[in-house]
Amino acid sequence: MREPAWRIFAAEYNDANHVLEAKEEKAPKYVITPLGAKVNRLFIVGVLTDVEEIGAEGIRRRARISDPTGMHVVYAEAFKPEVASILADMEIPSYIAVVGKVRIYEPEEGVLYLSARAELVKEVDAKIRNYWILEASRSMLMRINAIRDAMNMKNPTSRQLKELGYPPLVAEGVAEAIKVYKDIDVEHYEFLMREALSFITAKKEVKKDFGEAEEKMLKIIEELQGENGAIWEEVINQAEKEGISKDIAEEIISALMDKGKIYEPQLGKLKIVT
Amino acid sequence: MEIDIEKAVDEILERVEADREEVEKDLRRFLDYGVPLEQAKEAVINKYGGILKEKKLKDIKVNERGICTVAKVITIDEREVEVRNTKRKIFRGLLGDETAVLPFTAWKDFGLQRGDVIRIKNASSSEWEGQPRLSLSEWTEVEKLDYDIDLIKRTPKKYNIIDLKPGLSGVEVRGKILSIEEREVSIGGETKKVFSGILADETAKIRFTAWKDFGLKEGDVIKIKGGYIRRWRGAPQLIFDENSEVEKLDEEIVIEEKPIPLYKVVEAGGGIDLCIEGVVLDIRKDSGIIFRCPKCNRRIKNGVCEEDGNVDGVADLRIRLLLDDGTGAVDVILNRELSEKLLKKSLEDYLSIAKEAMDYGIVYDEIFDRLMAKALRIKGDSIQSDLIVTIFARDAELLQIDEQKEMEEILMQLEG
Repeated sequence: MREPAWRIFAAEYNDANHVLEAKEEKAPKYVITPLGAKVNRLFIVGVLTDVEEIGAEGIRRRARISDPTGMHVVYAEAFKPEVASILADMEIPSYIAVVGKVRIYEPEEGVLYLSARAELVKEVDAKIRNYWILEASRSMLMRINAIRDAMNMKNPTSRQLKELGYPPLVAEGVAEAIKVYKDIDVEHYEFLMREALSFITAKKEVKKDFGEAEEKMLKIIEELQGENGAIWEEVINQAEKEGISKDIAEEIISALMDKGKIYEPQLGKLKIVT
Repeated sequence: MEIDIEKAVDEILERVEADREEVEKDLRRFLDYGVPLEQAKEAVINKYGGILKEKKLKDIKVNERGICTVAKVITIDEREVEVRNTKRKIFRGLLGDETAVLPFTAWKDFGLQRGDVIRIKNASSSEWEGQPRLSLSEWTEVEKLDYDIDLIKRTPKKYNIIDLKPGLSGVEVRGKILSIEEREVSIGGETKKVFSGILADETAKIRFTAWKDFGLKEGDVIKIKGGYIRRWRGAPQLIFDENSEVEKLDEEIVIEEKPIPLYKVVEAGGGIDLCIEGVVLDIRKDSGIIFRCPKCNRRIKNGVCEEDGNVDGVADLRIRLLLDDGTGAVDVILNRELSEKLLKKSLEDYLSIAKEAMDYGIVYDEIFDRLMAKALRIKGDSIQSDLIVTIFARDAELLQIDEQKEMEEILMQLEG
């Protein structure tokens, strides 16, 4: 059976710390996320923010893809030169779609680094990104409901969840997640989902020009950004100190984003596009 | 240790007819020589192997060996599978007796036909969908018997059509007959009238075959108790016969078209008149401009047809893409007309583009560029395929998405 490609937000995927491994050789490995996604293959759409060469020959590449909740890390391996070359040629930032398999790195017991090994990549547009946010949200919502149903069961099993109408992979993933994760913070993920969905409305086609104020704002961000980006609130505070009101400052930030001059490497942080 | 031996003797006696004390003595002798318990058991069973115990189907468990039973062939289908890179013919179907109905796989041609009553010696069982499945191999003996046996009358289990998958038996289904036709088939030299058509409920449609004249006609809404599901032409098919009950219902079924999640399509192994939605996550390499034989319409390579030799190939455009909705994945084949509709370019356009570039590969690249990661809605039927459920599209369109509306719907469910 071909493993379906999960649309999954970076925050949830990166929170996972459980891997399901069958005893047989060559059997697929699954990452079980806190909300019970049972992931072997992923479909990620987001903003490409960074591509670096890795390894001695430099034919492998590691890319970072930002979605509204966090960063997906994607590897283009040496046996996929076409993927690596597309990544190398893409402008940063731009919208990108990736189909990939889970990549699990466990340097020591209990420490898990999750990423994706790209099978296919393609540059896409905002429409496809928005549809991906909708699909990822719908998938998350179904699993949130399943987790809540499972929490109400005495001894939740995948069979019981299937009987409630959940797809087998969801039922199996959720039954496993309930076993291995303690105190699953469902509200936290609901919050992330609302945030993610707000990206769809936030996208307006107005591109106002704020002239000098834009330059001022870019300077502020540049000063505050450091390695990981400037914290949104700090940027707004600094702007207020320099005489730009909060509302205007936010409008300028969104205008700068529309123009592709700045981007959000992760939620609530800003960085200059170089 | 003692307990192990008791248990092992019980297990041996379940499989062979023998004296308890003798069996225990034999077993202990092997164990004294240091033969591991499992092997010792096998050795004792082999010793008494000549008198295998005949079992009823309901007593067969998962992962048993040396099974001997008498059963009736309820359905049987031939299919081709690939085992270690060689194609081989296998037979799948259902066997029944008065205690149970079980799916089976025959790994060689025993010449079985629907309705045969057979004695099976030395079969094994594995697990399929939580129940045992009998496996008839090279080492299995099959003998046709000249008497009939009764089949179990079970309380049928209710299913929606969408949940019917090959290998199920004793199903109860309600549906509306969308079409029906009569035809004659010959079975073991005998001609029989069968009635085939399409049955639908609110969830899906399915092909059916009735092996008895139930006086059915188009438009009837019926309830079938005691049907079987087999796989036919790459889709599930509902079978009912003299062992089934059919009742006409005085109700109407409204058939609406709504997309089926792909994991359901994958579970059923296909379906007919399907409506599905998903995102294109791969364009298969055999997509683009291909050439067909003008005589037999087969795809040709380098101007040579496997059947008709050297021919002047006729250009055609087709796309085979992978559609994935996050729950499952299927292949979809688009013919020339649908490909042109989605790509908004004609075969002629592509032929001249390819000629200019002197490379047909450029057409693949453009298809990838245009369709990869896009959401599609497809209508069509599944066709025979082994690796992945494959749907031959009758209609295809880019999904129109009202982002705002869908977002609000999700938020509403979140509050709900």
